[in-house]
This record gives sequence, C-alpha cells and structure tokens, in this order.
Amino acid sequence: MSTSSTQKDTVSTHDGTPQITQQPVQVAKRLEKFKTTIFTQMSMLAIKHGAINLGQGFPNFDGPDFVKEAAIQAIKDGKNQYARGYGVPDFNNALAARFKKDTGLVIDPDKEVTVTSGCTEAIAATMLGLINPGDEVILFAPFYDSYEATLSMAGAKIKCITLRPPDFAVPIDELKSAISKNTRAILINTPHNPTGKMFTREELNTIASLCIENDVLVFMDEVYDKLAFEMDHISMASLPGMYERTVTMNSLGKTFSLTGWKIGWAIAPPHLTWGVRQAHSFLTFATSTPMQWAATVALRAPDSYFEELKRDYMAKKAILVQGLKDVGFKVFPSSGTYFVVVDHTPFGLENDIAFCEYLIKEVGVVAIPTSVFYLNPEDGKNLVRFTFCKDEETLRSAVERMKEKLKKK
Amino acid sequence: MEEKLSSVAKTFTPSPIQELSDLAQRCNAINLAEGFPDFPAPPCIKQAAVSAINNDFNQYRHVQGICDQLALKMNKMHGLNIDPLTDIAICCGQTEAFAATVFSIIDKGDEVLLFDPCYETYEGCIAMAGGIPVYVPLDPPRWTLDPEKLMSSFTSRTKAVVLNSPHNPTGKVFSREELEVIAECCRRWDCVAITDEVYEYITFDDQKHETIASLPGMQERTIITSSLSKTFSITGWRIGWAIAPASAASAIRNIHVKITDSAPAPFQEAALTALSSPTKYFETLRIEYQLKRDFCMKLLSSVGFRIQFKPQGSFFLFAELPKDCLLSDVEYVKELIKQAGVVVVPGRGFFHGKSDLDQHSDENCRHQKRYIRVAFCKSDATLSAAAQKFGELMNTRGSPKLYC
Repeated sequence: MSTSSTQKDTVSTHDGTPQITQQPVQVAKRLEKFKTTIFTQMSMLAIKHGAINLGQGFPNFDGPDFVKEAAIQAIKDGKNQYARGYGVPDFNNALAARFKKDTGLVIDPDKEVTVTSGCTEAIAATMLGLINPGDEVILFAPFYDSYEATLSMAGAKIKCITLRPPDFAVPIDELKSAISKNTRAILINTPHNPTGKMFTREELNTIASLCIENDVLVFMDEVYDKLAFEMDHISMASLPGMYERTVTMNSLGKTFSLTGWKIGWAIAPPHLTWGVRQAHSFLTFATSTPMQWAATVALRAPDSYFEELKRDYMAKKAILVQGLKDVGFKVFPSSGTYFVVVDHTPFGLENDIAFCEYLIKEVGVVAIPTSVFYLNPEDGKNLVRFTFCKDEETLRSAVERMKEKLKKK
Repeated sequence: MEEKLSSVAKTFTPSPIQELSDLAQRCNAINLAEGFPDFPAPPCIKQAAVSAINNDFNQYRHVQGICDQLALKMNKMHGLNIDPLTDIAICCGQTEAFAATVFSIIDKGDEVLLFDPCYETYEGCIAMAGGIPVYVPLDPPRWTLDPEKLMSSFTSRTKAVVLNSPHNPTGKVFSREELEVIAECCRRWDCVAITDEVYEYITFDDQKHETIASLPGMQERTIITSSLSKTFSITGWRIGWAIAPASAASAIRNIHVKITDSAPAPFQEAALTALSSPTKYFETLRIEYQLKRDFCMKLLSSVGFRIQFKPQGSFFLFAELPKDCLLSDVEYVKELIKQAGVVVVPGRGFFHGKSDLDQHSDENCRHQKRYIRVAFCKSDATLSAAAQKFGELMNTRGSPKLYC
C-alpha cells in the first residue's frame, strides 16, 4: 500500500500568489507494511458470499449474564468517569488474587498490575515502554499479527524462530543460537494462536535458563490460559528466577466471551511495570470503567464456571476436528485456544490465500490463511486456521458445507 | 534492572495531576482538580449502553453508524465534507486517537510544535514516536498567539502543529485570526495540523468553536481528534475518533487496530444515541457550564484573585495567584488543601521549560509558577461546598487567611 505522496502542485490563486496544494498527508515510513488486517478482508468477503465465519476469533454467542449484569449495575451506579490510570483498585486486587490462585505468586496489586484496553494494548504498552529502537527481540512464528506491528513501532530488530508442524515444538538448537547477550526480550504466546500449541514445562524451563543466562526479558501473552485442554497451562512467571524478568499479559475477552469489552492487563515486577504504565498512559490513559467493575465480578467466578467453559469448548472442538478430518484435511493436534490449524494441500490450491478465497466463494466457509502470521509468508502457505468459538449448530453447518462442496484433487 | 527500561520511559515522570488527586483523596478534599464531572451522565445514554450489553453487542465491532453521524455533524457545524467510509477512525478515547495519529505521522527526528501551556500527555506521545516537541509560548495574561513566535519556531524538520482548542488549561478558544496565522504557517511549511477538540461543545458567551480544518487549504492537512467524554460526561467509556484525509485515516485505523483492536463495543453502540442528541442537549450543556464558570470566577474573586482572562471554553479556569500572595503555585495548592480542604492543580505542570525566544527568560518563566487550574465540571453541590470552604478562609478583616 502506498503510504506517502509528496507531489506538490503549485497553483496560482486569483491574485497571483502561488498556493501550494499538497497531495494527502505523508504517513510515517515505519508503517509501510501495515495493511488492513487479513481478518477484516476475509470478514468482508464472507459477508459478501454469505459464508459461515470460522475465521475471526470471537464467539457468536455472548458472555455470561452475571458479568453483563455487573457492567449494567456499574453504569447505573454512576461508575462512568475516568478510572485510576492503571486500574480500578478493586479490579487490581481481584487480578492479584486470581494470579495467586493460578500461579501461587503473591503480588502487589498497586505496584505490579496494569489494566489496559485488552491484551492487545498490554502488548503495545510493553513493547513501547520496555523496548528501545535497535533492541533485539525474539519471536516465534506463526505469531498474532499485532506483535510484529508494535515491535516495529518500537523500532526493534526482530529475530524470528519458526515453529513447524506436526507438533510445532520449539527448535531448541535454533533458539540457542538465536539468543545471546544482545537479546533484549523474547515474546511467547501460550496457549498459542494460531496453532493451539501449549509450551511444555520442559520447553519453558529451557527458555528460562537461556533467559537467565543472557539476562533476557520475557513477554508472555496468556489470553487463552483458561482454554487449556490437553495439558495444564504453565505461566513462565512461576518458574524459579523468572518473575523478576517477566511481563505476564492476559485479558477478559476469551475467557468470558466478551471480546468487545477490551479489558486486559499486564502483571510484572515494579521495575518493569513502570515502563508499561508510562506507555499505557500515553496510549489510552485509562481503561473502560464500568467494564473493570464487571471484570472484578467475573474473576471471582466459581471454579464451576471455568470447568463448564472447558467442557463446552472441548465438545465444540470435537465436532470441528472430526469434521475437518472427515472432509480430508490434515489436522494438527491443538492442545489449547479455540483454534486448530490444518494442511489444505490435499485440495490442490496453490497457497493458503487462494485456498481461503476458494473456500469462501465456492464452499461458503471462512478460514484464515496463516501466511500472515509469519515473517516469511512462504512458511505458512500450506496451513489455514479454523476457529471453534461458535455455537455447535454453526460448526455442524460449516462441516456439512465442506463435506458437500470441498473435494480432494 | 532499571537499565531494562527504554530510554524514552526513563524520561517520563508520574502525572502531577494524579499525585495531587491521591493527596486530595487521602485528605477527603473537594476535588476541583481533575477534569471529569462528579455529576451523572445523561440517563438516556446510560440506558443505551445498558441495552447494548443486554442485546449482546459485546464482541469486537466497528459501528459504522458513528462515522455516519460524525460526518453529518462535521458538515452541519463546520461545512466540511467528510466521507464516513474512509475518513474516520474510531478509537479508545481521544487519547488513543491522538496516539495513533502521532504514530501514523511522526518519524524519528520530526519536530512537532505545541502551544505552551499545554496538556501534559501530548509530549509523551510525541516522544514515544521519536518526535521532538517544540514549544511556542502563548503570551499571558490573555494567552494570545504571537505570530512571530510561531513563525520562527518552524524549521525544515517541523512535521506538525498540535492545536487544542478550546484549550486545556487556559480555557482559551483560538480566534479565527489566530487560526489563520497557524493555517498560513502550515500551508507555507507543508505541515500537518493535529487538533484536540474534546471541549468543542463547551464554549461560552458568543464564542463558537471553529475547527482549523475548515480554513482554506487545511482539510487536506488536518487530523481532527475528539471524543464523547467531555460532551456527554462519560470520560470512563473511552470512545473517541480521528477524522482525517483517507490515507491518514486509514493509517490511523490500522495502528489503532494494533494498539487496542477495537473501542469498547457496547459504548460504541451507545455513542449512536449520544451523537443523535437533540440541539437542546448541547445548548443546555453550554448554559450550565457557563453558570458554573461564572460561579467559579466569583468564588476566586472572593479570595483575592483578579481574573484577567475569562475562560471562553472548556471547563477550566486558569487563574494567576494574587499579586500580594508570595506563595508559589504548589505551595498555594498545598495550603488550599490543608486550610480549606479544596484541591486544584498547580499550573507549572502545564508549562515546558524556558522559551528560547524570550530575551528575559527568567522573568517570563516566573509566571509559570504563578497559576492554578480550577476545574468547574462539578455539581452545584460541590461548587457550593467549595464556596463555603473558601468563605471560611477569609479572616475578620476580609482578607484571605491563606497566605497573609
């Protein structure tokens, strides 16, 4: 996408004074690769063709009533003005309590918790608050698309390590040669979007010792931590020696099916929290007040809520995974998140984008081409991502359409 | 591990406004410092948000209707033709709209002009993007713009001018003449104007808010940022926007998506109700704030202030300490908390360093420590309570006890 237009035309006004007319505003150089996201493009195409959307990662069912009611009550109670910049105190307290329950770590809610507009903002604030231009940051591909964008806004030098099918295991030797004393930070998403991989204790331990040895920070995106199906989720921060160098990020949206509320957070020791808070205060200043009050209630949900959430998602996953296998995809095992990644090549399309377009137009189902999640798109051309955060009827209909219309070559 | 902080983060200091709020809260002081209302938001707008939550508008969304309504408004108020499909980015408050705008326009080393005194957040944003803030002082006591000072601040590296009108902290509304001076500079130097118009509906007497984008040659080089917050007393909902030529709006939207992805969905829905409020709503808003302004001016006069500049807009009053008061702004604010249980903001946090343009820098800098900012976006009960406290400050001889 062209981003800068500096052609000047000199036009004389009626009194002869030259008036310089300028083409549209010149946009900063760093943004040349920022296009409309693939999600928006696919969603627009989906609507046009009446396709069933298993692309974008948000539910077509709504969040629990008890959380919605809490937000409504907060609005009625007048909690509609600026919250404390880094979070409503009660909410920070609830986050600290939840973190203790999940990891065993005791933290100071006022010094070590920062509330942000979604985990997306937590990531942006962490990058902008803690990364200097020129700093080396290690990323695992495929990665959520905001990572690359915000790292480039921070001026970081990205070193990418590709996770490969079938199990997307961390290539330890590659990591060892990539990480050095020059590495500033490593960014890890577990459970992982798009593959559904969950970093094992062994992998995390290895990464931890490399980080301690080379004095590297760790940025953890754990938004799917409550959607861990095949194994327990492990927080890097809970490993020995790691809390002091880790920023743990999460959000309400996936766990409570309220992705549009934009309630996220970053938990980190005070010396790292400070940078995150500074950036956050210039990015959004404060986070939606009534939703924070509702989130406080949400976090105190009984264990049964989370158990039921997992059960529901596992049932949905079974429908989709079996369906995709029956249709003829090569399906890779997904341990967590509500995503599953498949190899589309049995259907004879030349790459993931061509396949997804074909799937929308000829079959009436949306998937996301994974090449956008890689630094080198070639690495993703055989894979597409499906989501199962949809009601069961929608999933069954999508599977039916694919069985009917998607034929192997 | 302090060395792990980015160089930019290390230069930041905590917000003085937020620190004073903490002190005020501890002392249970009447808060005339922070710029948000202590009266409720309009009931029908709250109801719209409640309905949205109940009707499942709770997932990521972009509510195009907001753009449609904004385009209509901009046309009605300013005669601008805005394409709602391409020229508007909805963000989490004006704060995010401004941040995304700065990231979309400013490269490392670009200079950005700011008028001093100035809202504290702009500088931080610009610094994060690698830009260099350059301050153009407005001249007290009426905060007039000196065209010479403005023109001599432009260099070949100047990329943008930030214009906040109606203005925080002074309550100034830039006059048409001043807008024309700024516009002429932008055209001549091929710069962008980035505006913060959050107080656009809060103007007084006969003053009307004009956007610089409506001046000749300016729409194609102006990015307007604003929000629902101040107009509808919902500062905690985080619904704002940027309006710009399509290529800039597109860049801003793309950056916004990477920073927060989406503004809170139910409040976007409620924004449709807010933005279609009848004309009467806006008239009442102005009238009520004007009454509060007048009350506040009387209040300060009663304790020895001589208000040389009557606010033309916003809900702030920027008052110079009386001549016979020997305290600095910070000392006065502390005394006011201790003796009267009322908190306001010391003005120095809004000023930024010495002006290179002034011959008598030290003397001119002295005024930077002589102002307080009073927020009058408070209920009548709060303002009356403050008046009573102020009344108690007067000694038997009718002079303020505060600093004698």
